[in-house]
Amino acid sequence: MDKATLAIILSSTALCFPVVSANGTATISHTHNKTARQTTAIGTADSTVLMQDVTVIGNRKRDFQMRTSVNNVSIDKTFLQSNFAGSLMQTLSGVPGVKAMSIGSGQSKPAIRGLGFNRMVVTEDRIKHEGQQWGDDHGLEVDQFAVDHVEIIKGPAALLYGSDAIGGVINLYGNYIPTKPFQGSASIFTRTNNESLGISAKLEGAMEHFYWKTNFTAINYADFKVPTDSIQYYSYYIRLKDKRLRNTAGHERDGSVTLGYKTYGFHTELKLSDAYTKSGFFANAHGLEVRLSQIDYDRSRRDIDLPYQSVNHLKVMSHSVYQHGKISIEADLAYQNNYRKELSEPVSHGYMPIPAGSLERRFNKSTYTGTVDMKFGLGERHLLNSGFNAEYQHNRRGGWGFIIPDFETVAFGAYAFDRFTVNKHLILNAGVRYDHVRTSIHSYHDWYKTPVSETDSVYKERSSDIRRSFNSITWSAGLNFTSGNWLLKANVGKSFRVPIPKELGADGVNYHIFRYEKGNPDLDPEESYQVDAGINWGNRTLSVEFSPYLNYFPNYIYMNPTANYYEGLQWYFYTQSRVIRYGFELQANWQFLPFLSLEGKGEYLHAEQLSGEKKGFTLPFSTPWSADGTLRYTFCRQQPGNEALSPSMYT
Amino acid sequence: MKKIIAGLSVAALLTAITACSSDDETVKDTQKPAISEAGITPNPVDCQTYSRGEAIPFQYIFTDNMELGSYNIEIHNNFDHHTHGTSATDCPLDKEKTATNPWVFNKDYTIPAGSTTYKGRVDIQIPGDIEPGDYHFMIRVTDKAGWQELKSMSIKIK
Repeated sequence: MDKATLAIILSSTALCFPVVSANGTATISHTHNKTARQTTAIGTADSTVLMQDVTVIGNRKRDFQMRTSVNNVSIDKTFLQSNFAGSLMQTLSGVPGVKAMSIGSGQSKPAIRGLGFNRMVVTEDRIKHEGQQWGDDHGLEVDQFAVDHVEIIKGPAALLYGSDAIGGVINLYGNYIPTKPFQGSASIFTRTNNESLGISAKLEGAMEHFYWKTNFTAINYADFKVPTDSIQYYSYYIRLKDKRLRNTAGHERDGSVTLGYKTYGFHTELKLSDAYTKSGFFANAHGLEVRLSQIDYDRSRRDIDLPYQSVNHLKVMSHSVYQHGKISIEADLAYQNNYRKELSEPVSHGYMPIPAGSLERRFNKSTYTGTVDMKFGLGERHLLNSGFNAEYQHNRRGGWGFIIPDFETVAFGAYAFDRFTVNKHLILNAGVRYDHVRTSIHSYHDWYKTPVSETDSVYKERSSDIRRSFNSITWSAGLNFTSGNWLLKANVGKSFRVPIPKELGADGVNYHIFRYEKGNPDLDPEESYQVDAGINWGNRTLSVEFSPYLNYFPNYIYMNPTANYYEGLQWYFYTQSRVIRYGFELQANWQFLPFLSLEGKGEYLHAEQLSGEKKGFTLPFSTPWSADGTLRYTFCRQQPGNEALSPSMYT
Repeated sequence: MKKIIAGLSVAALLTAITACSSDDETVKDTQKPAISEAGITPNPVDCQTYSRGEAIPFQYIFTDNMELGSYNIEIHNNFDHHTHGTSATDCPLDKEKTATNPWVFNKDYTIPAGSTTYKGRVDIQIPGDIEPGDYHFMIRVTDKAGWQELKSMSIKIK
């Protein structure tokens, strides 16, 4: 469906006309790109010196690939603009091994090599983005137009990121630093399949060592169009008016303000951002059954009726880097608040009478994060990296539906890592990390009574008081080797994931999927062992990249469907089993003419459960093999950041 | 160099092919169970009318390719004219109304282990004091592996 989307983006930075700036040389789009490159050039994610009109000669791609032994992909603004696909994650799904799970017309969730949700980490300006764990049905609360640079790590990265980074990490950076006293840009865009209209604007400036940035994005979209006039959902037959999914319209408002100070050797930044989304749920398939509501959903395709959700993500963060000689220290402090509401028409179900009000569920989670990271060059050949992070989460629920209990979580982690440059062709690395996580879950009782015998009825307990603590030691080792046109990376390591409160303490009806979900308070931390490699070959016109991996989980946590019923709903429970996964990505690019290039991408993934009730079955979201080819014609080549016309074929 | 790339691609392809064809000894159940009317007179069916105080003689056949799990019967009011679309039939409905004392029935039933065919037969007593009107009769059945099938019917209670 996404592939059938016609996306149009108009952007001032994407025009072919050179915009002459104050010093008469650089264009706006130029500076954007240059900064994105600068940030990837050295060990820190920060650009430490403002360079103007400097030409760096070298193999940037190779240098980037030699930086780390894990499989990583660096994506700049040019790629984001020329592959714009409605939501950021859909844009990134052009990268082999990365998939977007569409969960609504303007939203999607990422997955790396078939692992999504809390088996991967999304960071925004180095801070782990919270909010993915407690809902399958809302996208990343990120303003995609404020993202300047993306780095994707495929494969385990628990050493530096801690729990959850089993599948990989998507790092989003809004780290462009303005160079002019006053500059700005604006983009407008539209999509045909949900008639979305959006505008994004930026204003920013720099004065000596200080700089400021502001950003605002607004998107409005109508009910999603599908190429059918009826759908079958869970064996229900639903007729659609004008081939539109009723009540899937929505809107998004994002904004941010950044203040920064930068001198040689020191850089600090304070950022306040907010992302708000309100979107309707498909009216015919929410709640406990397909319902015919009194609401006239078909009267307008742009309004949002019940049921709908609103999601707000507020973040205040500070980032500082101090560099002196061979030592660099980075410190981050952040506060995040995830506030999500789901509203629907109140209905009775089973023994639950009609509730008062339409607030079905409310989640209010605050997360406080602090990290310190230190890099220290020991001699010419060793780069030591060690750090510490701490996190506190506080979650409170509301509404008449119950699925995730109230909880608090405290987590600490410490790591040490050495990068040993044997010679310029061979780099070795190894590291170890320790984590301690404490989760405290509060009990929850129904607000209505359920009969337990002919004469007695009780407020049933849906979640009990659970206190668990988890300790985990993880490690990894890797190498980078280059010779001639070849570049080899290999990595072996252990990652882990602490069970989330939903997996430990869930006990209730999942209204979105018509099932009864039961947590398991005795779950162990999920562990994962992985071996992976990256084999690159490239010359001036042709490049080939092959990335195989093998991944073993001794105790993968998943939700098992059972043959039993609980209050009329099929019972699912969380359990653990041994799982093996393996696969590869293959990518080739042939620039056979200066303006014409041919690109082929393919990926394959096999996942299988080796024990438990579902032995022999695969895992959910294990994508089938895929391959696609793209012929790309680039016009206005002299201007980086320009749009490319690229007819593509997918299988 | 190109030969090596070709070799790599072939290796990759082989991995893919062998991975796809390596069938395991464990037999996976990948089929849903079915709710069938074969050889019996099914009850209830769409648009039937029952009276308060009498029993609904529920009768359906459940089948599965490997092993059945359990089944559930749920009856709830349709005073607000919501819809379940497992059958195409449109039954004439009474006027919409707000429920005051509707009938709620929700019960789980077991099926003997190892069954691939099972005749579900229950007499469901309709209480005498409930609110009459349009009701939905839902049947849900699972198999051992957790696949589920369902069927819904519109009935009227006088």
